[in-house]
Amino acid sequence: MPLTLAGIGEECRIKRVGGSPEMKKHLEALGFSVGGCVTVVHTLGGNVIVKVKESRIAVSREMAQNILV
Amino acid sequence: MNIRIALAGNPNSGKTTLFNALTGSNQFVGNWPGVTVEKKEGKLRRREGVTVTDLPGIYSLSPYTPEEVVARNYLTGERPDVILNIVDGTNLERNLYLTTQLTELGIPVVVAVNMIDVVRKSGDRIDIPELSRRLGCRVVEISAMKGIGLDEAVEEVLRAAESDKTQPVHRFSEPVEQALSAIEARAATGFPEAQRRWYALKLFERDEKILGKLQPDAAVAEAVEKEIQAVEQKLDDDSASIVINERYGYISDMIRHCYRKKNAGGLSISDKIDRVVTNRWAGLPIFAAVMFLVYYLSMVTVGTFATDWANDGLFGDGWHLLGIGSSAYEEAAEQYGDSDAIIQAYLSAYGNEELAAALDAESESYNAEAVGAALGELLNLVPADASVIYEVTDEETLAVTEYASGKTDLEAAVEAYLNTEYKAAPGAPTPEEYGVWVPGIPVLAANGLEAAGTPEWLDGLLLDGIIAGVGAVLGFVPQMLVLFLLLAFLESCGYLSRIAFVLDRVFRRFGLSGKSFIPMLVGSGCGVPGIMASRTIESERDRRMTIITTTFIPCGAKIPFISMIAGALFGNSPLVATSAYFIGLAAIIISGIMLKKTRMFAGDPAPFVMELPAYRLPTVGNVLRSMWERGWSFIKKAGTIILLSTIVIWFTSYFGVVDGSFRMLAEDELEYSILAAIGSGIAWIFAPLGWGTWQAAVASVTGLVAKENIVGTMGILYGAGGNVYASLAAAFTGISGFSFLVFNLLCAPCFAAIGAIRREMNSAKWTWFAIGYQCGFAYAVALMIYQFGLLFTGEVNVIGLVAALAVLAGILWLLFRPAGRRGLKKAVRTAS
Repeated sequence: MPLTLAGIGEECRIKRVGGSPEMKKHLEALGFSVGGCVTVVHTLGGNVIVKVKESRIAVSREMAQNILV
Repeated sequence: MNIRIALAGNPNSGKTTLFNALTGSNQFVGNWPGVTVEKKEGKLRRREGVTVTDLPGIYSLSPYTPEEVVARNYLTGERPDVILNIVDGTNLERNLYLTTQLTELGIPVVVAVNMIDVVRKSGDRIDIPELSRRLGCRVVEISAMKGIGLDEAVEEVLRAAESDKTQPVHRFSEPVEQALSAIEARAATGFPEAQRRWYALKLFERDEKILGKLQPDAAVAEAVEKEIQAVEQKLDDDSASIVINERYGYISDMIRHCYRKKNAGGLSISDKIDRVVTNRWAGLPIFAAVMFLVYYLSMVTVGTFATDWANDGLFGDGWHLLGIGSSAYEEAAEQYGDSDAIIQAYLSAYGNEELAAALDAESESYNAEAVGAALGELLNLVPADASVIYEVTDEETLAVTEYASGKTDLEAAVEAYLNTEYKAAPGAPTPEEYGVWVPGIPVLAANGLEAAGTPEWLDGLLLDGIIAGVGAVLGFVPQMLVLFLLLAFLESCGYLSRIAFVLDRVFRRFGLSGKSFIPMLVGSGCGVPGIMASRTIESERDRRMTIITTTFIPCGAKIPFISMIAGALFGNSPLVATSAYFIGLAAIIISGIMLKKTRMFAGDPAPFVMELPAYRLPTVGNVLRSMWERGWSFIKKAGTIILLSTIVIWFTSYFGVVDGSFRMLAEDELEYSILAAIGSGIAWIFAPLGWGTWQAAVASVTGLVAKENIVGTMGILYGAGGNVYASLAAAFTGISGFSFLVFNLLCAPCFAAIGAIRREMNSAKWTWFAIGYQCGFAYAVALMIYQFGLLFTGEVNVIGLVAALAVLAGILWLLFRPAGRRGLKKAVRTAS
């Protein structure tokens, strides 16, 4: 399921990172690697703040839908 | 011995703090060639010949953001002697991603694990020797903020620069390694041994920039592609993702062996704060409150106080030392009130020349006794039922207010004039008597020049040209410093990135970033710090758009001019000033929507992805340094481009041909000046806007020095008849006046702001585009206002109306046409 549907505080494993190749690489450099863990900390109108490898990343809804967990 | 150290690391890893700690004040700030990414270099403290280059904060060495390209080109092109890689010890896993890439470059690497104090405090342990073994480079523990371990880090870096060859220890899976060896043998043999693996890896990832640089011939390219495809088929993924995932796999393994975490998970304090400040309901009100505080502190209280001092004191008449005596003087001045004006009004109504001569404070025979006698006689001459109207002119807006007064007012005025209880001599109180009065620079300069007996033109150049012009600009420095201080604080404590997140959805709609709000808010005080505040916007596209539109908001210097138009033509209606703000806001929104559909800015706004650094209290040193860097770059601007512009404007307005001879002009002879000639030459341009007179054209040009100059110029040009407002009302209709107002509101800002645009755009082309767009947009809007306004009054000008309709149609088309898809890729690329 896309990251937008993950519950708050629930630790998920990333299955796939989609989107344009550029965006994908940028997300991966930020820590969104396949097999890695991600936790939604907070949501704001579809946009999410997630915890990835100890850092907090704000991701817009369009982007979050490209991250499958 | 010359050693070049490159400082590399993730954003928010403490890189700037470390850089400042290492180099102290020996810094040089510039820009990387061709991009607006800031470049900082410094000399290492207490060491000869060691240069530290601060690379921009990056997450990886892939070439997708301007920062990454700059860093990568520097590392592979300039090849520094050693890389000091700072990593955040509290977020080791993500930070080491960059580290593994850096160790592949064949340049010695030293890893500095930062925030070690925080790591220790939370009870976590990092096995440094094991980490060093697995990374294949030296590793030290530091805390840049607390100054722990910095000397050791420097020692290690210098040692590594002399002797080390960093070899990456990590290996990829067997198929990838085989392909890398094959590619290395085929395509990368032309490089020194240490760099071959890196180039092979880039070719394997199909890195376009490296492919373009190497230009392998067709046979080689095909062989390489074959190798890649074989691996992709075997591992069922694209080559770049294979590399990324294996890299993370290696890092996770390394973390498992080197990092012992005491307690996992749970909400950090930062998370709890974020729940509140980015809350759906509380987020915006909190943001509004913070911004109000910033605005209030910088523009209203401290800022206004400081700016008043700079404008009226330092670059004005003078000021009371430490402010002692100011309030006593103001009280006395208030008590004295309009006495002078009242006495003058009665003097001209009932007095005679003899009395006027006795009351002339400038005359040599002026003395207290004669004044007393003259005023007594004046009182005798005035009948008991006399009523005289006197005028008071507001210094800022030149508004003239008329008051009616009776004989009792005159009696009170005479008493105030003669009463020396609160002042030394008859007449209005002077500030010198109430404290230690320090004269302003113009006063000092005027006295100095008079004593030196300099020629008149030099006096004029220095006083009216340079000091007045540059002073008007520098007067804003204190206010800007306060503002930069607060912004630097918000930025380094981490709140600014939250604001961007909260506002992003709103601003996306018209092609701006969530961070565009701050420049606009600041711009309502002064456009210069507003433009400079745009520096916190990462995306170059968003930043350019913000810079172009920020000065549409009426700044503090436009207020006197707006009040002048409102007073002269609209009976002081408060709607005029209000409409100015709405027009500014609408101009921003319309421009945003129009520009984002053009090719230059095209594409969907980059999807928002941004790291939210943990909240932390910034160090005083870093905040002050950031404030000073921004302030200083503005002051330097005032000394160069602004200085030059003000001299040109001064020369053209104070020289001209009178009766066939070229000479310097007095202040009220502006109509003979070169500027007036230029004004007459360009006035026709503004005829379709309803104010094609040379006076209005000249006023607009002098507005470029500082917008409040429009008032001064209008005062001279329309002041011949005595009442500026009456002459203005005769020269403008309501519609043409409003068109004039809107044009000057939206057109190119003052030279100081243009200088700031040039500085932030870092490109002459973009600066000209910004000025051109602003002037063009202002012209279009003013044209529509005038021509459609005429339609309502019934005096239709057919050609003008057609032009205005065409402009309107053009704008509507630009607003509502579907956005092209071409720029999409570009937008993603510039997003960071």
